[in-house]
Amino acid sequence: MIVFLAKDKLPALLSELNEMLEVVAPVRIGNDTAFATWVGQPIDFEKNPQISPTEFLLPQREVLFKYIQHSGRYVFEEVEPKSKLILGMRPCDLNAVKVLDKIFGTEPFDKLYFRRRRSAILAVLNCSKPEETCFCSHLGAGPECIDGFDLLFTELDSGYLIESGSSVGMLILKEHSDLFQEVKSVYLAEKNERISKAKETLNSRPNLSKDKIMGALETADWESMGNNCLSCGGCTFVCPICHCFNILDLGVPDGERLRCRDSCILSGFSRMAGGVNPRKSAGERIRNWYFDKFQFIPENTGLLGCVGCGRCISVCLASMDRWSLKVPR
Amino acid sequence: MDKVLTTCVYCGCGCGLFLHVEDGRIVGVSPSPMHPMSKGRLCIKGWLAGDFVSHPDRLKFPMVRREDRFARVSWDEAISIIKRKFREISDKSGPDSLGVLTSAKGTNEENYLLAKLARAGLKTNNVDHVARLCHAPTVVGLGYAFGSGAMTNPISSLAHADVILIVGSNTAEQHPLVASYILEAKANGAKLIVADPRKVQLADLADLHLKPKPGSDVAWINAFLNVIIQDGLINERFIIERTEGFEAVKQSVSVYTPELAESISGVNAQDLRKAAIIFGSAERCAIVYAMGITQHIAGTDNVQALANLSLATGNIGLDGTGLYPLRGHQNVQGSCDMGALPEFYPGYQKVSDAREKFQQAWGTDLPDRPGLTALEMMAAAENGNLKGLLVVGENPVISFPDTYRIKNALNLLDFLMVMDIFPTETTELADVVLPCASFAEKNGTFTSTERRVQRVRSAVAPPGEAKEEWRVINELICQLGIASCYSGPEEIMAEIASVTPIYGGIDYGRLDVNGIHWPCPDRNHDGTPILHNERFPINRARFRPVEYIDPYELINDDYPLILTTGRSLYHFHTGTMTRRTSLLDREVPVPFVEINSDDALAMGIRNGQRIIVETRRGQLFLDARITADISEGTIFVPFHFTEAPANVLTNWALDSQSKISELKVSAARIRRPEDDRFSG
Ligand code: SF4
Ligand code: SF4
Repeated sequence: MIVFLAKDKLPALLSELNEMLEVVAPVRIGNDTAFATWVGQPIDFEKNPQISPTEFLLPQREVLFKYIQHSGRYVFEEVEPKSKLILGMRPCDLNAVKVLDKIFGTEPFDKLYFRRRRSAILAVLNCSKPEETCFCSHLGAGPECIDGFDLLFTELDSGYLIESGSSVGMLILKEHSDLFQEVKSVYLAEKNERISKAKETLNSRPNLSKDKIMGALETADWESMGNNCLSCGGCTFVCPICHCFNILDLGVPDGERLRCRDSCILSGFSRMAGGVNPRKSAGERIRNWYFDKFQFIPENTGLLGCVGCGRCISVCLASMDRWSLKVPR
Repeated sequence: MDKVLTTCVYCGCGCGLFLHVEDGRIVGVSPSPMHPMSKGRLCIKGWLAGDFVSHPDRLKFPMVRREDRFARVSWDEAISIIKRKFREISDKSGPDSLGVLTSAKGTNEENYLLAKLARAGLKTNNVDHVARLCHAPTVVGLGYAFGSGAMTNPISSLAHADVILIVGSNTAEQHPLVASYILEAKANGAKLIVADPRKVQLADLADLHLKPKPGSDVAWINAFLNVIIQDGLINERFIIERTEGFEAVKQSVSVYTPELAESISGVNAQDLRKAAIIFGSAERCAIVYAMGITQHIAGTDNVQALANLSLATGNIGLDGTGLYPLRGHQNVQGSCDMGALPEFYPGYQKVSDAREKFQQAWGTDLPDRPGLTALEMMAAAENGNLKGLLVVGENPVISFPDTYRIKNALNLLDFLMVMDIFPTETTELADVVLPCASFAEKNGTFTSTERRVQRVRSAVAPPGEAKEEWRVINELICQLGIASCYSGPEEIMAEIASVTPIYGGIDYGRLDVNGIHWPCPDRNHDGTPILHNERFPINRARFRPVEYIDPYELINDDYPLILTTGRSLYHFHTGTMTRRTSLLDREVPVPFVEINSDDALAMGIRNGQRIIVETRRGQLFLDARITADISEGTIFVPFHFTEAPANVLTNWALDSQSKISELKVSAARIRRPEDDRFSG
């Protein structure tokens, strides 16, 4: 099913959806654009936020359960996630979700991830405005979304084309049909034109295909990259595919068991109890980060561990050119 | 999920970040891509800055000491006890038997109110804060030299330097965002010269690494300037047009040959010459410094030596040049600006000059007796002259030099009141403990090391009955009979702006998301990113000759090693917050001592071995970290750890000008526990 929504009708649609579920969308906060709960703020589709909406599926910090002492025994309380509609996720991030689904879906199956995943409706936005650092098309992860979405938005001059990609998506379109208009063929032409333009922009950038990157990995100077690295962990915290976590219990006798994001860039991540560290230097840890994305994750899931969203480029505190694998010199 | 834009609570860089809030709790942090300085980047502490906020250890209720334990009391009861105690002490021993240590972690508004509480409420100028132990020499030294004791340029200016001289600053670990701009400069072709007894990360990337012995800075910096003068690399026009006193400096440095400097500081004379020529020949040079320069009995002279160097080469007032004292806490700049210093009212207006003005503004008479600095207050507590102390968000037991002496001094007080967010080694000694709001739980402003006044925004409510400090201080001021009824931080800032010329144009509406660099005299002024570009506040900048003096403690046969202290990237100061952040604590979970590998070999010490480090004041058991990255004869201990507080070892010998103590040099020795068995 495919419909057209005039621009000025978007808030009305979101308000209606908001009655049933929490709507998450890219909104303006100060000069920035970030995904947050929509409570009527203006939507901003111009920029791809630095933090991927995958944080709603795999939060930075999540309470797994509460433990409470009760007459000498412990009782456990779990918290149910709220149902959400995530609007404006771009194709790169949807592809990242596909990788996460595989990773958390293999045994042992991660119940908690899928509890959030199942309660989220993904309203993806076809990408007509790639950021300067994007290279999704080189890895086949954008700018156009083909499948895996519940709803797919394409921004046009006067409104949005909305396609459904699942039964939930279709239901939503049917339920709010009074807001939509019929799709004219010029709209479809405009969609194609916008996407080809984005493709063109992306493809005109230096080639960052898998083979090219694999080649660069073979010759990279890990030691100098490590010497420049300021160990901020940013590249792992912004990556929509990075998913490592740590578990800790906070509070005695009552408290919470938390799952918190972790980072392989930190030396404590790989250091063992006796102090031995198989990835001792920052360079070795950076090397592992790349190989995880281009070798280990593909071996384990059949999918690339990078979708070319480019976030790790702009976040790097040492301004390394992450994908030509060069240190600033 | 809501995202609240605010400012990082850790270091002076002042990065912009979002706190992610869900159901009234902080569930994450992310950088602000449009922040004018940090531009969507953070260091690891910033990325994890939300973690400690909901830690179960947070103080939640006012508490009063009853014998040897604390009892929970109501706010009203706590406040009335405090008021009674302050009155009693003041009536019996005079107002100067009271003192206030404010918090560099607090907001500008809170620091302003605390200074007002001390002067208008308690009628004493005994108000100080931790700047005394970090950049007091900068406030005094650059105040004299330039007429303004703050960083001259914005951080981003570093990216445009041709040469950057970094002295006594482990920038990559302590000010990562500053380091990122230094790396950018290097990528643009700038040369880096690092002077540090340790091979810190930037030393490794530098073109030259000079390794002065701790406490020898004046000697090698004077020689550095001497080479520049001898080689005719000074900027004569700048010297003539904009400065005074150059001849005396020229005279005094002329005896400091690189060879003499080598014999004092150990810096290779060849390297020193090379470095001086690189510096002197370049167009735009920046000098970055931190505690390695200031925490000495010659701290103020060290700062002046660097100022002399900047002035002689004309490296002031332009993009890519300047002097960059890197301030440690996110708001230690602001705390100084707000007059949390005994000799200054807000905006560095001298107590001796501006008393009349503030008596009018605050509607009460103010004391003219000179106030005590932080360590002078401790000494006064020791000899019974100081009887009551209010400590806010500071942990002197761990952060001040000579822990045992500090503890003893605090124990001698009749009344110690501490406001904090977590129980600390200092709250343990208190008579009354009040629970406060963390940075995520209050509104206000912080001023970063680049003089950028920025907003702090409340994202969640404080835990339990904890309150924002400004509310508590406001209440205390009222109780002491001074009219003080602010509706909130914005109103406090309006008052600050009305009495503080450098903050005259600061207003919440104007700060918005980019902040403003002070001086900003009025509402039509956009702020001043680069200072001194046309004139100095004192008109002509002042050279002053400085001579090398020995550190207070010299090594000898009994104590053959120089102990120096500092921080790690992963912890902040006394660890109250970072040690409650699991990923940070995992990085550096235990205290350690760094020893040079040759020294370790000679002493028969293995890596990881538990050893005893001793100075004249105390001893600690620490794990040895053997490394070639520290100079021979020097050992390094970080001061974050309560289980082995480095300041047990340090001495509090004071710089006579700025009253900072010489935390960076103590004479020490190392023993292996097994040796004790034989020697009995
Ligand atoms: S590795 Fe970098 S470009 Fe690739 S998905 Fe992660 S953040 Fe995006
Ligand atoms: S560099 Fe400083 S201000 Fe920036 S994130 Fe790190 S600790 Fe916070």
